[in-house]
Amino acid sequence: MTILKKMRSLLGRYGNQLQDRHVNIRSVFQGYKKILDDNNHALKIINDMSEKMSGGYLFDIAYIREAYSELATAMRDCLADFNRLTEGQYPQLEPVFNNIDSHIRELLNPQTKTARRRLISFDNILPESAKEVGGKNYHLSQVKNALGLAVPEGFVLTVHAYDDFIRYNHLDESITGLEDHEYDPGMLAEVRNRIMEGGFGSSLKSEVGEALGRLREECEGACHLAVRSSGEEEDEVFSFAGQFETVLNVFPDVDSVLDAYRRVIASLFSEEAIAYQLNLNYSPAGMRMAVGVIVMVDAVASGVVYTVNPMDKNQQSMLINSAWGLGTSVVDNLTEADTFIIRKKPPFETEEVRLGKKDTMMVMAAAGGLEKREVPADRQRLPSLNAEQLAELSRQALKIENFYHKPQDIEWALDRSGRVVILQSRHLRIQEPAGEDTTETVDAQPPGEHPVLMLDQGIVVYPGAVGGRAFIVDESAALADFPWGAILVARNDSPQFVRVMPYATAIITDSGNATSHMASVSREFRVPTVVNTGNATDVIKHGEDITLKADEDGGMVVYQGMDKEIIGRHHDSFIKLEELFEFRRKKYIMKFITPLNLVNPFTDEFVPERCRTIHDILRFIHEKSMQKLIDSSRFAGRQASLKRLDIPLLEDIHVIDIGGGLKPGTDKMVSMGQVKSAPLRAVIAGMAYPGAWRQNVGNVSLSDLMTASMRTGDIMGSVQVNLAVISRRYLNLAVRFGYHFTIVDAFVDTNPLNNHIYFRFLGGAAAVTKRVRRVHMLEIILRHFGFVTEINGDLITGVVTNVSEAEALRILDQVGRLMAYTRQLDAPLTSEAVADEYARRFINGDYTM
Amino acid sequence: MSHRIMIIDDEKIVGDMAKISLEEEGYEVETFLNAAPALKKLEEEPFDVVVTDLKMKNIDGLEVLRKVKKLHPSTKVIMITAFANLDVAIEAIKEDVFDFFPKPVRIKELKESIRKALIPDDQTKP
Repeated sequence: MTILKKMRSLLGRYGNQLQDRHVNIRSVFQGYKKILDDNNHALKIINDMSEKMSGGYLFDIAYIREAYSELATAMRDCLADFNRLTEGQYPQLEPVFNNIDSHIRELLNPQTKTARRRLISFDNILPESAKEVGGKNYHLSQVKNALGLAVPEGFVLTVHAYDDFIRYNHLDESITGLEDHEYDPGMLAEVRNRIMEGGFGSSLKSEVGEALGRLREECEGACHLAVRSSGEEEDEVFSFAGQFETVLNVFPDVDSVLDAYRRVIASLFSEEAIAYQLNLNYSPAGMRMAVGVIVMVDAVASGVVYTVNPMDKNQQSMLINSAWGLGTSVVDNLTEADTFIIRKKPPFETEEVRLGKKDTMMVMAAAGGLEKREVPADRQRLPSLNAEQLAELSRQALKIENFYHKPQDIEWALDRSGRVVILQSRHLRIQEPAGEDTTETVDAQPPGEHPVLMLDQGIVVYPGAVGGRAFIVDESAALADFPWGAILVARNDSPQFVRVMPYATAIITDSGNATSHMASVSREFRVPTVVNTGNATDVIKHGEDITLKADEDGGMVVYQGMDKEIIGRHHDSFIKLEELFEFRRKKYIMKFITPLNLVNPFTDEFVPERCRTIHDILRFIHEKSMQKLIDSSRFAGRQASLKRLDIPLLEDIHVIDIGGGLKPGTDKMVSMGQVKSAPLRAVIAGMAYPGAWRQNVGNVSLSDLMTASMRTGDIMGSVQVNLAVISRRYLNLAVRFGYHFTIVDAFVDTNPLNNHIYFRFLGGAAAVTKRVRRVHMLEIILRHFGFVTEINGDLITGVVTNVSEAEALRILDQVGRLMAYTRQLDAPLTSEAVADEYARRFINGDYTM
Repeated sequence: MSHRIMIIDDEKIVGDMAKISLEEEGYEVETFLNAAPALKKLEEEPFDVVVTDLKMKNIDGLEVLRKVKKLHPSTKVIMITAFANLDVAIEAIKEDVFDFFPKPVRIKELKESIRKALIPDDQTKP
């Protein structure tokens, strides 16, 4: 980045435009506060909905409609205020909201259907089409579109195609009548027959014809298709494995495909499939079926991966079954297969191999369908996968599991070129090891004898009784290393945790509150979560096993060790609820409301177009409003009446009070006693902290000085540098200390959701290596205090949000110390290790150099 | 013998969720989407507690309450409704409703109410 660019970046993206305009900081500030209120109102409704739909309440559709309508109104207000504040800078945001809104309304009022697509190719399946294409197809499209793994080409005949087919053949009444006749076998057979004889409208036929044409082009002649079911609910919670028909090796012409389609649809009404659904409390006649039409892989070998080896108590390995030819030999147990147990982390070493006698294999028959073939004797005992293929397959399988955050049952094939192709992935349901298993754990303490680490502290966000290894997230333990199934322990709650939430067993934080972004996602993912405990990071040790029991009525206990007695007791009824079709269907709308995809404001992903949920939109609005406030404060100096701070350390600083920041009647020179702004007072207290501020600034070389004046000169020329814009609860402080330029922006009130601290530092007066070390040191320190940071060369930016008033003021005090400390920092940073050491000292309150 | 609870609500999810939660407490639970078959069932055999929605298509909750009281005076009736208004509540209390909840109903509270409803009357009176 050039120096000029960096300056611009330091000034904020819109710095240049703002300079020439009249900025009324007071009105921006009022606008900002309005948005905080809007945001909080919307989040409160979302939290209420999540809570009511979390399983602890009996609710009905009327409740959801009413709550959503309130939320939509709150969102419209919020968008209007945001638009006003940012002067229409983000016109894309409203259409994004409208889109989400129409999806939700369609789910709430099914009769107001919008675009019904009967045929969608796998490339074009978006999250909102999940219901139309069915669970199995949707998962496969995600493996392709979101994970970039190889899957077969193909398209889906959606549930709308199904509806049309049923209507076209006047089958609606016969099907709805089935329930009243208790699924009489004779009536079922008649429905199946009429489906097999059913016709298709000409438009659907031509759509299928076009799609097949495209497939034929892509597979260059030899195109064999598989036509398979993907019920609305298939692979969602229950696998429906083997319940519906799959037709293999279908020729790629319209008649053959539609014939296979009829067979698949008819299988929805087989006696077995109906019994299966009734057993699970579905109403079968209401289920609609999507059908996938995919190109078959002419497989050398194929089989199944379980990403969790069911035999492995510690869940550290995966299980791969493999045989020659098409996968049906493994799935349907037609031949012995090879079994490989693979260690579940790179480089995926093979722990165990059991080679089966693979005497037969299935291949595609020339006349359609499959045929069984003898495997040549010399190949029967050969491993069907080599080490490299095993590692590649394992890598892909783990990638899929990480994406879904649940163990997976994956069907795969190895094509003629040796490429792994994923055919299907669904959740693997593993039985918990039976009771006798617990008796084997000799080291486990007897129940009730685990030492209590914490008792009735904090706020229970989501209840549960769970155990796991504690993972303390701080500057030294990065979130990226968070292990599957661990308990996340942290100082603050953070929207960053969303990344690991689906596979976190529980979350415990020192600060935080029940309505934060993180809390609402905790409820969404049903992760037992307790916030605001005060001292979890002190009491719990990184890496130790703990048990958390958090009750619905707010009580909580943390035990040292794993208390299996406690852990086993709780989750049964939740699992049963999750298995209710109606429950999931109603909860489905929350997918468009609560998940948080926009996590890190420093990435390119942080744009309106990436907002997929209402929560994302709120997060975007909050972040950009804060930026607007910071930018506006930077240019507030010109027209406001300036006063000067008459305070040691900060004597050269102008101040603008935009509301309650100074005692009334303060004249031109402001003394410390006259400052009422809580954040400014905290920063000054930090700067003046004994030891943090030193008089004898280290040696700076002449060349360092030259660079420094070049770098900061431009900023000085164009804007008011030493300036504090304050209110009772707000501070924007821009100062130059020595050769460093720092901005602190903070809003601190009693509602943690409103609070933020923003910190930017651009240093000068040092050689490049020293500047890099300095930024490295600052990053360690900022992360320790809960900042999310971004580094751009030697410019570092950090933001912390959602902290309590007390915590925010504590952090600001530390920020003050840091500003004082960094004045003199460049000279002594002789190596990276020294930088680490200074960071450590600073965190421990030791400011010696 | 475990206590028998009947749930009547025209939305399937309410009955399903209540059934799961109450079976967890060891009750025997039957759910109905319509009041008519529920009342027919009540004519055949008694239940200890009937939890009914107020607003339903054909027969409303108040009518269910009256019928139940006529058939089995000792059966307790708990009413749940999205349309909580004072008039209906008063009317229901006159008809000797045991408890009255606006939806969404906290399951924990419903369980507590059922627990109290199952305490025999002679033990609750001084």
